[in-house]
Amino acid sequence: MSDAADDEQLPELDLRLTAENLDEFYEHAPCGYCSCLPDGTLIKVNQTLLGWLGYSRPELVAHMALQDLFTIGGRLHYETHCVPLLLLQGQVREISYLLRRKDKTTLPVLMSCTLLRDADNQPLVVRATLFDITERHKYEAELLRAKLKAEEQREQLALANKQLQRKNEQLTRINADLDSFVYTASHDLRQPIDNMAGLFTELKRSATFHDPAAGRMVVMFEEALQQILDTIGGLTAVVQQQRELEQVPNEAVALQPITEEIIQSLQPGTASATFTLDFGAVPTLQMARPSLHSMLFNLLSNSLKYADHGRPAHIQVSTALVDNVPVLSVEDNGRGINLERHGPELFQLFRRFHPDVAGSGMGLYLVNRLVHQAGGRVEVESRVGRGTTFRIYLPKAH
Amino acid sequence: MDVLKRNNVTVSGAGSQAMVFVHGFGCNQQMWQLIAPDFAADYRVVLLDLVGAGRSDLAAYDPTHYSSLDAHAEDVLAVLRALHLHDVVLVGHSVGAVIAMLAAIEEPDRVAQLVLVSPSPRYLNDVNYTGGFEPADINELLEDMGNNYLGWSGAFAPIVMSHSDRPELAAELNSSFCSTDPAIAQHFARVTFLGDNRADLPLVHTPSLIIQCAHDVIAPAAVGTYMHRHLPDSTLVVLDTSGHCPHLSMPQATRAAIQNFLRSTPTLQP
Repeated sequence: MSDAADDEQLPELDLRLTAENLDEFYEHAPCGYCSCLPDGTLIKVNQTLLGWLGYSRPELVAHMALQDLFTIGGRLHYETHCVPLLLLQGQVREISYLLRRKDKTTLPVLMSCTLLRDADNQPLVVRATLFDITERHKYEAELLRAKLKAEEQREQLALANKQLQRKNEQLTRINADLDSFVYTASHDLRQPIDNMAGLFTELKRSATFHDPAAGRMVVMFEEALQQILDTIGGLTAVVQQQRELEQVPNEAVALQPITEEIIQSLQPGTASATFTLDFGAVPTLQMARPSLHSMLFNLLSNSLKYADHGRPAHIQVSTALVDNVPVLSVEDNGRGINLERHGPELFQLFRRFHPDVAGSGMGLYLVNRLVHQAGGRVEVESRVGRGTTFRIYLPKAH
Repeated sequence: MDVLKRNNVTVSGAGSQAMVFVHGFGCNQQMWQLIAPDFAADYRVVLLDLVGAGRSDLAAYDPTHYSSLDAHAEDVLAVLRALHLHDVVLVGHSVGAVIAMLAAIEEPDRVAQLVLVSPSPRYLNDVNYTGGFEPADINELLEDMGNNYLGWSGAFAPIVMSHSDRPELAAELNSSFCSTDPAIAQHFARVTFLGDNRADLPLVHTPSLIIQCAHDVIAPAAVGTYMHRHLPDSTLVVLDTSGHCPHLSMPQATRAAIQNFLRSTPTLQP
């Protein structure tokens, strides 16, 4: 502004352009100014800074050092970080400190300093500019608080995750223990039941019953025995299958031959039911072969078992691709299930809904378990007197 | 592990004896640049960054491991071993001086002379001891650092660094002078300012030079006197200057004091 060249370039003599007074500007600038000796002793302080601090000029100049104005923490930082930087690079910028006012309250500032050297390159004077950052400081504190909170929450989340994982491991263990228990129990039950069956056969052969009702009771006893044997057999099968499946790899199983084979085994002689097979949409499924076999076997045998005697059984087995998900359907025109009543129990072990038809209550339990193991799910649709459709949704084809 | 890389070791100069410099809290090996080059004509000059500072391997900073200064002293010894150095002049500033001292106690044959610039064995006042600080002062420093307001540009560096689309910004902040990772700096501050190594002083049998500033808030004159009294074979030089870094504020006088000391102490030649 005092530069002669600048004065010449001023387009018109607007008095306002020359009204700025440098001394006045220094004293009342919108920032604090101070100068100090290399050891920090204050030698010049502007009015703005004095106003912020609440000190008079004589209290500061030659009596206090710049670092005396900081909190102890700031002072340690100044001595260990700021002074080395000043001496090495001649300046420091944007360092955040808390100034301690005369009344002991604090004022957050951002400080930039330059070091001036004399002709012998010895440190001569440090000039400091300080900006009041009260508002920004609050905002930063808010940011830090949010950051701390986020970190806290992350830790809590990690902890919850860990607990879940532990729970999961525990459940897996309990599951395995349960399987072991079922297997052992069924195995241990089998022996005495087999004995009972043998003894009963022997009894029937050697004993004579005088009561005319005895014949019927013998039949009932045999039926009950058979039921126990079936149940034990089913239990063993569930656990055994589970164990075997863990060993068997997934493979692409062609549906047409495996289904035909199952149908053949289910009705060896003259066929009383008709089957329609349509695997055009998805000819093969990626699964463990024994799983698929057991699943199809149970569904098809159910369809046959629960056929409506009033009409010839017709069963449709087909595949479709729904949203890239392979779906295997078994649809019959049998007796149907009252889903409203039995739906929730449909896949539970030992649940039976047609007491007049022989069964162990294992089939659908097994199907559901196998599908879940393969990463899929089962949907069922049924109308009493019309028929039932099972749809098996398997994991997306790759 | 490559300790020379871990501690960002730089070697220059020529001479049969090595001079190894250990920086203090708040900066890194760059703070030796006003005096170290002058020794390069007569000594092999070895500079290093303590793990957690400068361009050391920050990932190696395990707070549990570095919860005492012994771990840093072990690092310094590992550098000496890696360079096959014995009978070195070990120079340390501030907390680096204590680290140098611990290294000399651990393996005396590796250190022929100790130069301790503005050392303090304990910063907190105690019964019959003036360290210069009350626990509340140090807590204030730690709290301030926890609030991240000291050197906030450093505090924001990790945030910037996570923005991989602006790597040049991260690099710039990383290379900025004496910048430190705020979390590490805070931990190192705790280890430094709450430590007490007074009991180690009598265990030092290496000839030692203590350089003390006449007016130093961090290591007051009383601390220099205490050091001198308890270090068995020590020389005390008080420089008429203020502050904590005489090697920066009075490099010529500091250099002269070191040279005088080295001349007067019998040098062990390999």
